[in-house]
Amino acid sequence: MPSLRRHLPQYLMIAPFVVLFVAFFLYPIVSGFYYSFHDWNGVDAPRFIGLANYEKLLGSRDFGRAMGNLATYISITVPLGILVAFGLALLVDSFTGRWASFFRNAYFVPVVLPAFLAATIWRWIYAPNFGLLNMILGWFGIPSINFLNDTDSMIYALIAVDVWVSAGFNMVIFLAGLKNIPGELYEAARLDGANKWQQIVHITVPMLGPVMFFVITYSIISAMQVFDKPWLLTGSSFAEYGGRRGALLFPVMDMMGRAFGEVHFGEAAAYGFLLTVAIILLTLASFAVRKWRRS
Amino acid sequence: MAMCSKFLGSVSALIAVGWTGIAAAQDVTLEYWVYSDFAQGDALALQQQFISEFTAKHPGVKINIVGKGDADLTAGQIAGAASGNIPDVFMNGIGTGAQLVEVGALANIHDKWMAMPEEYRSQFDESAIKNCTPEPGKMYCLPYTGYGSLLFRNLTVLEKAGIDPSVPPATWAEWLDQMKKVKEAGMYAIPDQALIFNSIAEMYAISGDVSTWGIDWETRTTRIDPDVMAEVLQKFVDMAPLTSGTSRNDQATKDLFITDNLAFHTVGPWVNPTYEEASKNGKLKYDFVLIPGDTPDKHGGIQNYEIIGVAPGENFDIAWEFASYVTEKEQMARWAKLLSRFNSNVAAMNDPEVSALPLISKSVEAVKYAMDVMPPYLVKAAPSCYSSTVVDYVSATADGDYTPEEGAKEMIAELNDCLAE
Repeated sequence: MPSLRRHLPQYLMIAPFVVLFVAFFLYPIVSGFYYSFHDWNGVDAPRFIGLANYEKLLGSRDFGRAMGNLATYISITVPLGILVAFGLALLVDSFTGRWASFFRNAYFVPVVLPAFLAATIWRWIYAPNFGLLNMILGWFGIPSINFLNDTDSMIYALIAVDVWVSAGFNMVIFLAGLKNIPGELYEAARLDGANKWQQIVHITVPMLGPVMFFVITYSIISAMQVFDKPWLLTGSSFAEYGGRRGALLFPVMDMMGRAFGEVHFGEAAAYGFLLTVAIILLTLASFAVRKWRRS
Repeated sequence: MAMCSKFLGSVSALIAVGWTGIAAAQDVTLEYWVYSDFAQGDALALQQQFISEFTAKHPGVKINIVGKGDADLTAGQIAGAASGNIPDVFMNGIGTGAQLVEVGALANIHDKWMAMPEEYRSQFDESAIKNCTPEPGKMYCLPYTGYGSLLFRNLTVLEKAGIDPSVPPATWAEWLDQMKKVKEAGMYAIPDQALIFNSIAEMYAISGDVSTWGIDWETRTTRIDPDVMAEVLQKFVDMAPLTSGTSRNDQATKDLFITDNLAFHTVGPWVNPTYEEASKNGKLKYDFVLIPGDTPDKHGGIQNYEIIGVAPGENFDIAWEFASYVTEKEQMARWAKLLSRFNSNVAAMNDPEVSALPLISKSVEAVKYAMDVMPPYLVKAAPSCYSSTVVDYVSATADGDYTPEEGAKEMIAELNDCLAE
């Protein structure tokens, strides 16, 4: 008790965070875990059903399809997004003054654009026959592609949108990292005869290690929760989502459909928990890889 | 003196609190959630007029109208039911009704309905009322606006393809023949009907009817007839090379239609304002007819309704009064005239000024033949795997992965698995 009294001001200072953290983060996770073992419609008393929700999910066709799509999506969008963002950061960093500011802001615009607006723009760009992209392809004699309904192209169409949106955010993070690299290192490298490419490979990339780790981890976590872009691009609703033959069906979409389309909140909670576990495992894996590389 | 002053002050305060309490007991604020397009422009102005008329007759009642998109309406009503904060009167699609019943967002209005005079009850479409009444003694909604899907035809495209537009196709065979001619002339015949559950239902109605459509919840099996579905899947195979590749809801579909690149568009009346506007600019020649069926006496297409629901709770009585006022003939007729939209109030549809509107008169005709989208309503929420299975097998068959017979057989087996879960 004396200790509590002595540190009361400190406890009071962190109290707002703790209250909000418990109410809006810890409690939903714990209650979600609890409901994942129950049949619950969100209103009536939950009925304990053991692992039935998990068994149903793991045996469901849409769960497998959503996870398969997610694996493809993450394996492309994360490295591609980081590569594009890194390239843009190097490009913007090479400018100074007004131009640097202009490009930085221009590439950041998609990040602040509301998702529905971005989706509308891209639906117009991807539209068959009259869409901007198909018009450009038409100039080269390439026939119209149905980007958002052709199951072979849908996921790539989504990845392009995702890279367009995420590149600006990751670019700003990389830019901050680039500014922290001492100029003397580049100067020394130049004196030693290193060309631009060698400077990037041997100075920039290693010096950006912690930033790169953050961007990779953050990108994986974001990608695993992908929802709004495929939802809007496919014109999904709670009753019908995922686009043609489920080519753009992702876990969070399926989870929302089960919650609000079928009123199976217990099943949706189990879905959320499985996804959370997968996110934690992937994050831990990236930490482990980092530790291994350091050692 | 000071004591006396304190006492008088306390009494005054108590009186003030008392009066406020009485006033609060008399004052009621109803939350009224509507579709977002009903909460803007002329539609909002008319809704506000309904509210003003109602509140003038019910002093102390205040009604807040809030517009929300489809997903927000559903999510908000379900979350509201969970937190005990449901809007008092609200709209949604009848297809979402089962979820709302399950979470207790929709009150049973059967007794209120039965207490209404026959003059009011007889105004409504019988089948729409039946859809709101899943079992005797349980009624969960009042049917509101609705639609019967129509076949919008681009007359310029038809003329370019050498088709006489003055004679609409009487059967599926005639229609398919016209579609092929359109494609041969270098234009698109129809959107890809395989992309959306509702457009698949529209096509199913060409060969089948509601007796072999929907879900049998007692046996947890689909009611789809494999022979009928095989016939329908053959239609999708026949149409596959003729489609624009866009869905019926895509903006690109409307663009193709307006720019004379697409001949047919089967959809509800909500596209008409866009086509009418293009027509006024002299850029589009179009009409709308009934979707043909396999035989001249049959027609395809679906019907669907938006509903008005009332939440249980302390405002239930006044909320019901407002819902019944808004759905009454006079209001429904004004609403129909403003939006040129069909609704479930037959008496309003028979109003001479309303029935004179071509889109409404055609919709009234379409609804007579049209099939419900996902019956039975308000019983249980169909699992998402149901509609995705139908769409997947139709798409796969149209893509050539299955023969129509195989596709129908596999689809029905998987639908039954989905329902058994």
